[in-house]
Amino acid sequence: MTETDGSRDPMPREAMLAAAFVKLADTLVGDFDVVELLTILVDRCVEVLNVEAAGLMLVSPEGDLRVMASSSEAMRVLELFELQAQEGPCLDCFHTGRAVVNQDLAASQERWPRFTAEALAAGFSSVHALPMRLRGSVLGALNLFHAEPGEMRQSDIDSGQALADVATIAILHHRAAQEAQILNEQLNYALNSRIVIEQAKGMIAEREGFSVDRAFAKMRNHARNHNLRLVDVADAVITGELAASEMDRLPQEPS
Amino acid sequence: MNGAGERRLRILGLLVGGGSPELETTRLCAVSAEATGMTGAGIMLMSDDAPRGSLCTTDSVSALIEDLQFTLGEGPCVDAHHGQRPVLEPDLAQPVVTRWLAFSGPVVEAGVRAVFGFPIRIGAVRLGALNLYCDQPGPMADEQHADSMMMSDIAAQAILVLQSNAPPGTLAAELASGFRVQYVVHQATGMVAAQLEIGVGHALIRLRAYAFGNELPLAEVAREVVARRLRFHAEGCETDPDS
Repeated sequence: MTETDGSRDPMPREAMLAAAFVKLADTLVGDFDVVELLTILVDRCVEVLNVEAAGLMLVSPEGDLRVMASSSEAMRVLELFELQAQEGPCLDCFHTGRAVVNQDLAASQERWPRFTAEALAAGFSSVHALPMRLRGSVLGALNLFHAEPGEMRQSDIDSGQALADVATIAILHHRAAQEAQILNEQLNYALNSRIVIEQAKGMIAEREGFSVDRAFAKMRNHARNHNLRLVDVADAVITGELAASEMDRLPQEPS
Repeated sequence: MNGAGERRLRILGLLVGGGSPELETTRLCAVSAEATGMTGAGIMLMSDDAPRGSLCTTDSVSALIEDLQFTLGEGPCVDAHHGQRPVLEPDLAQPVVTRWLAFSGPVVEAGVRAVFGFPIRIGAVRLGALNLYCDQPGPMADEQHADSMMMSDIAAQAILVLQSNAPPGTLAAELASGFRVQYVVHQATGMVAAQLEIGVGHALIRLRAYAFGNELPLAEVAREVVARRLRFHAEGCETDPDS
């Protein structure tokens, strides 16, 4: 059975949003072909990291891992088997969020009885899995399988993690491209709100002879007391609907 | 498409640089210059009509390139954003056609010989522009051009990813930190609007005109206004040396 570090928390928001992308990737919609990108990436792993085969799995919105890219058909078959048997380095890595490194298949029958038999039969001798992480959530894992016995060099492990991180960014970017319009509106709103608030600070500071910090405190105090949004108070100041003299006094101001 | 995938991976690899996948805007700029082989780079965020501010710059020259565009409303980023196409000026000191009357002089003086602007957008979503400069004159090679286009694409997505992690209605901290220097400009705008009893748009124009006329960065003028060392009134402006 796979090891876990206790009960898993409900998937954090970022992981859910990123996982939603996996479904979109299936339809190959978007500004760039992310599945092709991930395929290039696993091929790059094989070229650069001295491994026999590489594969990448991502979590779906339902919470289960899906195979996204494999450097060879044998690798793909083995990764699918890992998911079907629900045991193996990728699953351990995904559940714990920690890298699985230098796991010698000759010694892993107890840990992964069914996976080990299949992996040995496919000609592999050791396995590694590196987490694809985002702000504490794990989106998936990068599998690296060796045919030769021996340990993976630390420099290769570090490079592998860097490649896993690249995959994470690529996936996030794909999601951003999908949601560009929504995100842009949020960005515009946030920027405009901030600008309006700063302008209003200046206006009140000038009219009342305050510092801009005190002007801000005045607006925020008024907004809180009247259950208004700060940006709406600022807007009213700019348009002239609300003068500083009409605002609630700050606690330290004389009546 | 294979070439584009490889190019994207290479640039994303530079962005990651061995650390965590957390994005930083300073890294976006540094990688922009590195990936394209330019002397320096900067990213401007822009709204429909005007530059909103600098997201990041690699050096003081890039900062000048952006500040001048913010002050003057002309330059490679402004043109790239308006026209939604790359703007390439391979010889700013001796251009075939003079494009930017006010922008070019100070920038050439600062050591810029070639300057390029690339729109930053995703489809119809227009965010701003990437500016790249070289201290030697000369056009971009095809590879540099392709890298610049890819970099703008990546920057657009990175900006949106950064914003997607912000609490609703607020500007993401990673984006806001680059903008900090511009907040003083908006504060000064509000003050000048109150001093002259005019709208904020008009007030910003007055500030810009003062900055350009006195060959000062807009942010510096704004700081003087907020510190009450510079006031605007209908007849002109006055400085207060006692403040």
